[in-house]
Amino acid sequence: MASDINDQALDYLLARAGLNLTAEQKAELKTVHAGLAAMAERVRKPRGRMAEPAHGYGFAEEDLA
Amino acid sequence: MSDAIPTIAEAARQIAAKQLSPVELTRACLARVHALDGELHAFVHLSEERALADARAAERAIMAGGPSGPLHGIPIGLKDIVDTKGIPTTCGSKFLQDNIPDTDAACAEKLAAAGTVLMGKLTTHEFADGGPSFDLPAPPARNPWNTEHFTAGSSSGTGAAVAAGLILGGIGTDTGGSIRGPAALCGIAGIKPTYGLVSRAGVAPAAYSLDHIGPMAWTAEDCALMLQALAGHDPRDPASASRPLLDYTGLLGRGIKGLRIGVIHHFHEVDHKVSEGTQRGITAALATFRDLGTELREVQLSPLQDWAACGSLISITERAAAYEEWSRTRLGDFSEPMRSRLMLGALVSGVDYVQAVRRRRELRAELQAAMTGLDVVLTATQPWEAAKIDEVPKWDLFDKPGFMMPFNVAGYPAISVCAGFGAGGLPVAIQLAGKPFQEPTLFCVADAFEKATPFRSQRPALVAARAAA
Repeated sequence: MASDINDQALDYLLARAGLNLTAEQKAELKTVHAGLAAMAERVRKPRGRMAEPAHGYGFAEEDLA
Repeated sequence: MSDAIPTIAEAARQIAAKQLSPVELTRACLARVHALDGELHAFVHLSEERALADARAAERAIMAGGPSGPLHGIPIGLKDIVDTKGIPTTCGSKFLQDNIPDTDAACAEKLAAAGTVLMGKLTTHEFADGGPSFDLPAPPARNPWNTEHFTAGSSSGTGAAVAAGLILGGIGTDTGGSIRGPAALCGIAGIKPTYGLVSRAGVAPAAYSLDHIGPMAWTAEDCALMLQALAGHDPRDPASASRPLLDYTGLLGRGIKGLRIGVIHHFHEVDHKVSEGTQRGITAALATFRDLGTELREVQLSPLQDWAACGSLISITERAAAYEEWSRTRLGDFSEPMRSRLMLGALVSGVDYVQAVRRRRELRAELQAAMTGLDVVLTATQPWEAAKIDEVPKWDLFDKPGFMMPFNVAGYPAISVCAGFGAGGLPVAIQLAGKPFQEPTLFCVADAFEKATPFRSQRPALVAARAAA
């Protein structure tokens, strides 16, 4: 997978996460960034601001029918 | 007793008829552990004294008043992320090598109350993620059908131990397929119950909102017997469902004529095309279901990649949160696969996570709508037969979406059952998913399939070979 994140941006994200990585680990992480970005794009849909997240749900009667 | 490995149901009948002693049964399992586990590495902690004490206590009670239920005197094992009072619980990690809990997890407590014999703790990927790892204190479990091959994980030891008859049933946990995956590759049955049906209290988290606890055993019927003991509300688990308990074996043997099975062909034929052996298993399974009188219908859902993206983003983020403190201070002490997974958390933003959780609601609604008028849906469990243990790809989550995650995302129950043997004689499987809390229907369909096919009569050749040695 091609990387689309530069060193400066990666260093910022790692610092924010409090992770101290070796150069080799950073290089590996760069190779999977595009895959994660594609996943993040997939969960974005035109849904409007009122669409609720899933957590805190309870099964409704229709689930059980 | 015979050398044949009984199912839980068979052993329970023989114990109730006083034709089988729990002590003899336990000794037979222990003998198989001693003969085979040097190659399989299914156990990280064998509690032999506890097992024999449990077996003797069960035998005394049964002789005095009969068995308290079908699990009384049955040898079982627990994945090593399940807390066990007085017994090491390492989570497969260097962090917890000296951890001896002072209480049992809810599932351990329930199985003990049902009279089971605790054989010990079973190999897991570190904190139920990543793997196989070769840099942990214990080696990864090996597949009894061919020990050069992977079991899948993370309930790797449970899969190997059940397939080889080291135990008759065991506990696994499932965040994106960790019960069903090893069940499939080890040729056994394993169910991820409805979210909230089995308490997670006392079990190390992988990803809170996706984690499920469930049974793994040789047959679907055995899983049903175990689930009967495991299910139920537990206020210690905030996600625990408060619902009346059902009879999980109540529909077994009633036949499945007229039931409607939705087949999600595009998952395993288009979105992630399975191996020839797996496809043959699925095709033959559909023919079996037709012969049994079910109605097969085509089901169309969002692409598997959408489900995988949603589940993976949630899983990565919740895991990173759960293990953040150690990630920040002792990242180098994690195994290489777990460390790599934890690193991913840095690349997922808070907004990405919430968008994934919003997508989760949409996907669950989609599955609910698709299942209207259906009893179960069917797809693959694993895309292929077990890979060689040193050839397991590390980052396939990005381009090889898993078939199991959709049912963790939705919280719906799903079971994997053996559907034959593919390349190299390794097992292949089908996955059946049901509606929330409708495990009795799921067990009914899975049991009918197992009884209509010959795959439950064959154990790994290794078992017989070592028994004869």
